[in-house]
Order: sequence, then C-alpha cells, then structure tokens
Amino acid sequence: MTITASGLSASRSGRTILHPTTVGIRPGERVGLVGASGSGKSTLGHVLIDALRAQGQSVAHVPQSPDEALDPLCSMAFHWREAERALNLAPDTIRQQALFAALRIEGGDLRKRPWSWSRGMQQRFVIAMALIGTPDLLVMDEPTSALDPVVAADTMDLLDTYLSDRKTALLLITHDLGLVARRVSRLLVMDEGRIVEDAHTERFLSAPETQAAKSLCAHRNWLELPC
Amino acid sequence: MIRLIASLFLRAVVVLSGAALATFALLWHAPGDPALAIALARYDAMVTAEVVDQVRAQSGLDAGFWPAFQDWIMPLLVGDFGQSSVTGRAVWPELVTAISYTMPLALTGLLIGILISVPLAVVATQRPGGWLDRCAVALASIGAAIPAYWLGLLLILLFAVQLGWLPAMGARSPAHVVLPALTLGLGVAASFTRILRSGILEARGQPFLPAFRRRGVAGRDIERDHVAPHAAIPVVTVFGLELAFLLEGAVMVEVIFARPGLGSFLVNAIEARDFPKVQAVVILAAVLFVTVNLLIDLIYRALDPRIGERDA
Amino acid sequence: MLSVDQVFVRRGAALTLQDVSLSLAPNRTLAVVGESGAGKSTLISAVLGLVPCTSGQITWANAPVRSCRRALVLQEPRSAFNPRLSLRRSVMEPVVAQGKAADPARLDTLCRGLEIPPDLLERSPMQVSVGQAQRVGILRALIAAPPFVLFDEPLSALDAVTQKHTARLIAELQREEGFAALIVTHDLGYAAAFSDDIAVLRDGRIEELNASQAFVEAPQTVYGRTLRDAAFALGALERVA
Repeated sequence: MTITASGLSASRSGRTILHPTTVGIRPGERVGLVGASGSGKSTLGHVLIDALRAQGQSVAHVPQSPDEALDPLCSMAFHWREAERALNLAPDTIRQQALFAALRIEGGDLRKRPWSWSRGMQQRFVIAMALIGTPDLLVMDEPTSALDPVVAADTMDLLDTYLSDRKTALLLITHDLGLVARRVSRLLVMDEGRIVEDAHTERFLSAPETQAAKSLCAHRNWLELPC
Repeated sequence: MIRLIASLFLRAVVVLSGAALATFALLWHAPGDPALAIALARYDAMVTAEVVDQVRAQSGLDAGFWPAFQDWIMPLLVGDFGQSSVTGRAVWPELVTAISYTMPLALTGLLIGILISVPLAVVATQRPGGWLDRCAVALASIGAAIPAYWLGLLLILLFAVQLGWLPAMGARSPAHVVLPALTLGLGVAASFTRILRSGILEARGQPFLPAFRRRGVAGRDIERDHVAPHAAIPVVTVFGLELAFLLEGAVMVEVIFARPGLGSFLVNAIEARDFPKVQAVVILAAVLFVTVNLLIDLIYRALDPRIGERDA
Repeated sequence: MLSVDQVFVRRGAALTLQDVSLSLAPNRTLAVVGESGAGKSTLISAVLGLVPCTSGQITWANAPVRSCRRALVLQEPRSAFNPRLSLRRSVMEPVVAQGKAADPARLDTLCRGLEIPPDLLERSPMQVSVGQAQRVGILRALIAAPPFVLFDEPLSALDAVTQKHTARLIAELQREEGFAALIVTHDLGYAAAFSDDIAVLRDGRIEELNASQAFVEAPQTVYGRTLRDAAFALGALERVA
C-alpha cells in the first residue's frame, strides 16, 4: 500500500513556507528529500508525519538532533517505556534487545539520563525508539548533522543493514545529496517550498533537469578520486 | 560531591558570621542609650543614672564593641543563647514558645499561597495571552507590590470590622489564624503565580516536546512528565527566596494582628534593646535561611543533573 | 610562518593537547581534522594565544603569536555578531580597534570577492541569511589584512551547495591576499579539497600529518583510514571511474 498524503502545506507569519504538496511512497521504498536550507524540507517532514498520523498510519520521525527528541530530565528507560505505551505495545525486552543490538547501543545504561550518553548513542537510541512499532515509514531529518563523521557513517550503515530485509520505507531529508545518493532509489528535490523534481537516482544523477537539481548534483561531493 | 557540600557549607558559615556581626553592630549603634532602654524595660519606671550604669556594667555594654561581641558569640557557638538583658531569664525557652506560635502561621500562609497559585498558574497557561492569563499576571504583580501590613489592615477592616466574620486580634482560637495566614498567603501566591506561570510557558516551549507528540504520547502525559518537572525547577529555586518573604511577613503580620510569636518577640526585644533576644532571632532566621537554601541547592542538582556540571 | 612547537596544554586536570607540532607558511592552508573531544577548540584557543601553553610555544615569525595580527572566523555566523550593531559597524571593528582609517576601496574589493552586495552591510545580523552572515564574518576577518586567519568549522552551519561556494570564495581570496589559513573542521572532504596539508587530531595528539592529496589516497594510520572511509561513506569523497 503506497503511503500518500496530499495538500501538505505550511506557512509562518503570513509567508508560505510549503506550498500544497503531495507525497507518495511505496512500501519499502527508500527516498531522499534534498534541498537547500530554507527550501522547506524539514517542514515537509513534520507536516507529512502529522498528516500520516492523523490518517492512522504507522509512521515515525527522527529529528535532526537528540536535543529535539529526548527530555533531559527523564531516564532513557522512561523514554523507551513511554514510547512503547504510546504505541499500545506491552513492554518487550526481546524487541528492545534486538533493536539495541541492531543499532549497537547494548552497552548503554538505561537508568541514566540522556546527557550521560554520547551524542551518537543518543541519536541511535532515538532511531531505535522510532523503530519500536515497526513503522511503515521512517522519516529522518538530517540524520548526520549532529554527529561526528565516523559515528554518522556507522549509524547510516547500521540503519541500512537493519532496514535491508524489512518493509519499512525510508524518507531521508537532508541538504547533502552526497549523503543519500547511494542509499536511496528515488530523489525528491525541494526548492522554495515546492518539490521541483522527482526521479530515480540514476536518472537524477546522470541528467538532472531543474536548476536546483543541477546545482545539488554538481556540488554533491568535495573531491572525486580515481578508482 | 564532598567538595560541593564543603563549599556550600563554607558559604553558609560566611553568611552566618556576616549576619551575626551585622546585627550586633546595628543594635550597638542604634540611637539612644541601650543601657537606658534595658533599665526602663526591666524596672518599668524612670531610673537614676546609677541604676543605668549598673545595668550597663551588668550587661557587658561598657566593655566596648569587640569584647561584647565575643562575649555573646562564644556561648552561641555551643548553642547557649544566653539570658535576656531585661528579665534575666534564659532566652531559648521563650524563643521556642514564640516559634510555636509563628510556625503554624507561616506554614498555613505557605499552604494558602500554593493552593491559590498552582491552580491559577495552570489555568492561566492553558491559554497564554488570553484574558485569564493577563488578569493573573496583573493580579500577581499588584499582589507582589502590596506590603503585608497594608493588606493585613485592609483584611481586618473588611472581614473583622465591617463583616464581623473573623476575629482580628490575638491567637486564642484557630479562627484567629485565618486572616493573618491569608495576608501572608496572598503575598506568596503573587510571586509563586508569576514564577510558576513563566516556568510552565518556558517548559512548554522546549525543543523536544513536538517529538513526543509525534511519537503519540498523550497530551496529558506530556504535561505531567515533560512540562511539569521542568516548570518546577524555577519554582524550587524561588522557594528559598520566598522564605525571606514568609519570615519578614510573619513578623509584620504578627505585630498587626497582635499575635504572640517571633514577630512580637522581636519587636519588643528591639524596643528594649534586649541584645540577646534580638540576636537570637536573627541568628535563628539566618540559620533557617541558610539551611533551606542549602537543601534547595542540593534538591536542584538532584532534579537536573546538568546543573552541577555547568558549575564545574 | 606559524610555528606550533611541541605544545602541551592543560585544562583543569587533563592534558587536552599533547605534544602538538605544526607549521604553516603564508599562502598555505593547513586543515586540522578531528572529531568531538579531540582538542580542536583548545588548539584554536592556544593558537590564538588565548590560553597559555603548559609547555612548548606557538610563534608567528618567531615572535609570540599574541603579538601578530590574527583573525578568527567562527562556526555560527549569526551569533558571532553583536545583534545591536549593523554589519558594517561589526565589520569595521578590527580596523577601528587598530586606530586606522577605514579604506573604502579595500572594503569594496573584499565585498566583491565575497559576493556581498553593498547594501547588505547596513542590515543587522538577524536580517541576513546564514550564508550571507558567514561571508560577512569572513569579510570582518580579512578587513585588517591579517597575515594569518583561523577558521573554526567555517562551513558547518551552511548547506551543501553554499559550503562549496563559500569554500571557493575563501580560496580565491587567499590567492589574492596571501594569508596563511588554519582550518579546523570535522569534514575531511572539505579538508582534502581545499587545503595543502592535513593534520589529524585525536585525543589531543596529532595522529598523522601529511599533504592532503597523499593523505586521502593513502592514510598512514588506522584512524586516518577510518576517517577517510567515513568520508567516502558519507559522500564527501567519491570514487569515479
């Protein structure tokens, strides 16, 4: 069942940040939503999640930084239990251990508050929490911006592995095309509150059509090295 | 951790020493002849110069500032509050009696303050900027500006004189506590409402709350588990400062409502230049203050572990 | 010539920098690459002369680094400016502080080099975009023609396309002005593309120091290889046929 939401829009202080947009994602599809700062991509992520949840769909959102996802006064264990309860799921240690193992956070002390965990572990915990209910769609907003490169690369790889044999679709929102180019099969480009291009990755990378897309393609890496 | 407690303790010692010295110095330099004041209070009649000199020698007031200060502070360090200059009786038992009148008043006042401010702040923040919210803020600001004695007199005028519902003076029955406690409580409510309100609004604006909503956590659970604890932190901090108001207010209120207690104890002692009694009250207040603030400091750090880190 | 000579810096109980040695000549760019906690902030403070070295010394042209004119470009452009002053006033502060007269021709040249439209400087920091604010930050750093400029994660607050663009502008200005540039960053891609040499900082020590091209093609240490592989995994570096 394709996940669709249409008429997604948003404005702030009278200005339209997101023009009415429709988004459709097929089961298990990996999609990248790329655009410059201020193009409206994070907003689209939020509005999409809210709309899909209102429809009753099983979706999850991972914010850019763990500061936007965790309450500094609550323990990690509390966060986890609360997330389970919110999904009407009984506490399941096996599921928890499986997710922790998949995202390599088994060593973390759950009785502690977020601030005692490293940022990388906090972010992976947030991703794990998002996966508790095996959502049909996982939306990740700038998944690597709050992380060091080695930790970021590890996290992306762990996520890739975890999702590889599951039906969870993935929407990766980022300003960095290079990050998603080889992890997604389809790319959406946002510019000034609109999706201006929607194409399969190979086609996109070889022949971008719009100005925004061309710019992103041309600047997707810093350096090319011969094989 | 040890270092933390030691440094807080050291701070406490400095504050107490300063309070002791300052009170003693103020009383010593207060206008008028202290020996005369004591003599008048003691004998309740005009006295001759010889009697005054006798009193002066007896009370150690002729020895000079520092010897007199030492004379007083040394026994105090082992808990001996000394004897009243006027009556010669030990200070401590009378002090305890006075406290037993003031405590119920202060606690009732605090309770009334909390019972008013918490619901008011919670309801006002349901619709920030709405008319109830703005009324609450206005009332709180006015309330904070009204001095306790003025409010007390007004309440007496209304409830005791005009309506005759409640007694005005004395401490004979539980009903006598109502007006004084209300006077105190309204003052406490005023500042608590404002702090609680801004604490709640700030707590509601925290960056992680939308994520909890998106995770499907119910609104009420979010308020209880993720807004309230954060809002409580500034309130806990202010609690220590509120204690100042309660103590000062209690003294005022007791004098206006003619209740026995620390207030009258203190005022009478000052009039009579009864050094030991005055200083006993001040030291007691200082110790109470310092202890409460120490506790609050520790509670604060337990509530939010980030705070200790920042200090380091 | 900037010379960091066997520098140890102690902050509190810990040695945040241990035996760090670097050198940087005018017109050259050195990138110091490291993760959080590696000691990058301490290195910046030490190189600017803001914290004393527990041992070792940092000199420019054989004089203590505090005596030379140096500039800093910060990570968060908008909070690097006083929000109550216009950008123009903030930019001219280094010149005014030296007691020199403003040189409108120089301001003009730099503005053109940084693609800053003239009227932008009249605005306050909050009224411009992050990319614009960062370029103005660079303008402020260069206005007094310092021989040595330090960049602290200058591109982290910008989006991918703006990053590349700004990096190019910085490089072009360096060619014209001839300053020595020390760039501290966690982005190995940026370091590889725009610096002459790369120093890898880890737990307060320099793990590896090599010419950029050589480093990226063949890192000599395990950690260096980890960093480089991560850069590939994140698309900062790409292999093409």
